[in-house]
Amino acid sequence: MDFSLVVQTILNGLANGALYAVIASGFVLVYRATSVVNFAIAEFMLIGAYLTYTMSLFFPLLVALLLALPLAFAFGVLVERGFVRPLLGRNVVAVIMATIGLAATLDGTALILWGPDQKAMGAADISQLPKEMPNLAFNMGGVFLSSKAVWSLILALPLAILLVTLLKYSRYGILLRAVSESETAALAMGINAPRVVAVAWGISAMMAAIGGAFLAGAAGGGGPGHHLVLLGLIVFPVAILGGFDSVPGAVVAGLLIGLIEAFSQLYLESFLPGITQAIPFLIVLLVLLFRPYGLFGQHRIERV
Amino acid sequence: MAEINVENLKVVYRGVILALQGVSMRAGTGEAIALLGPNGAGKSTLVRAMAGLLPQYDGRVLDGKIVINGQEANHLPALKVAELGLTAILEGRPIFRYLTVTENLRAAAHKLSPQRQKEITDEIFTRFPRIYERRFEQGGYLSGGEQQMLLLGMALLTEPKILVVDEPSLGLSPKLTEEVMRVLDELRRDKGLTLVLVEQNARAAFSIVERVYVMEQGRVVFEGTAQEAQADADVMEFYLGGAVAGGFSEAKRYRRRKRWV
Repeated sequence: MDFSLVVQTILNGLANGALYAVIASGFVLVYRATSVVNFAIAEFMLIGAYLTYTMSLFFPLLVALLLALPLAFAFGVLVERGFVRPLLGRNVVAVIMATIGLAATLDGTALILWGPDQKAMGAADISQLPKEMPNLAFNMGGVFLSSKAVWSLILALPLAILLVTLLKYSRYGILLRAVSESETAALAMGINAPRVVAVAWGISAMMAAIGGAFLAGAAGGGGPGHHLVLLGLIVFPVAILGGFDSVPGAVVAGLLIGLIEAFSQLYLESFLPGITQAIPFLIVLLVLLFRPYGLFGQHRIERV
Repeated sequence: MAEINVENLKVVYRGVILALQGVSMRAGTGEAIALLGPNGAGKSTLVRAMAGLLPQYDGRVLDGKIVINGQEANHLPALKVAELGLTAILEGRPIFRYLTVTENLRAAAHKLSPQRQKEITDEIFTRFPRIYERRFEQGGYLSGGEQQMLLLGMALLTEPKILVVDEPSLGLSPKLTEEVMRVLDELRRDKGLTLVLVEQNARAAFSIVERVYVMEQGRVVFEGTAQEAQADADVMEFYLGGAVAGGFSEAKRYRRRKRWV
């Protein structure tokens, strides 16, 4: 076994996994805060990636990504206020159908606003060369990491860890966890639950935007297109493996699935072509069969 | 000023279930009153209405008035009611079960400066040493009495002027109930709170309140001082005799005293 190849695979796996972790942690955050399974998460990624693309037409890519974040946050808040809030408390199937409808609506809106063709970051025309972030690719002792992977490791991974930390220790994180348990009890204590929930949706959209922009190739050339919607499906296995209601779980599961995919690509893909795409979903089947709470899912506290 | 007036309040759930049918009550500044009554009398509905939480239960005020500190609060949302200084501890000990004791307290203290939060938290830990001992445990693992103490601590961190407590003795042993009542009384006197205590355990409530309202089927059927209530044969028979099966309306003299209904 080539040691440097293994190290390179681990780092690449973690880099991809960090993106899954970022998107899935935002997805789980919304589920925690509102019990809504956001089936439009892939479209949140898509919109975030397109917002980054639009900004990148006017600014350097890194600045564009930073500018797209508040826009994505505002988009998330808007969706919560206009679409989710009126549905809260309704039948769960109705809410699920509604978020699927939201996904289709956002998909169509993106199609109208940005057109059906794949874009290149910072390029008004696909024939132009895409803008790129500063090149951080490195090759050390036989370990090669692309610039995209390095950016993902230094930007996405710390962000996911920051979210977990803030959720655990910051005052707003505690309020969010309180509201996620009982909005009524929170309101009785004077906690502005609607605002807390809206912020959760905003953060979720922001995380999806980062993940979406990176998966679309923000750091390594390329650009957003509708293929992102399919990539977004990865959120569900990650969330389920993590326990569905645990943000730290989503981060760990994202990294794990990234690693598993990377090793599958290295060792399995040659004699089982296509297995890498299937593996996360096989994991979901196993998790649901043998450990429905996932890695970090909450066990209900019941006094007897 | 910390007073609450309810006038002829009618509340309906889901547009059809009339839970309060014209309830009037008042609690003056620094006063402690009790709302007594059996299950389904409308006590918790009255608490929700006072706290502005009816929309959370698909309910709304149909008619009548709630006035808190001189300001009409019928249709105020819960957050505005909280700003008027009313804090409600709802029934069922609604702490945040997955948060630790300290986190529960921090959640309730969200509006306070760190300095003020520390002062009040220290006071809470002094009043409730058991809560201090278990400060790193998840709220869901506390005993019923500890959860009630934690809720009182959380309420203190909202710096209330009017404290509404719904069924604090529910599921507690007589000894713990006595302890909770003692603490409530102590807090009220120390902080000059107006206290609205909702209880089924009349004997416990009598020990700390000045006036009593008895509710049944969405109406107030008795109003008087704690002494008058204890001297009233119907109230005592219904609450402390334990022999009347059909509710207050079946108490011996109830039908003769039409002025109640």
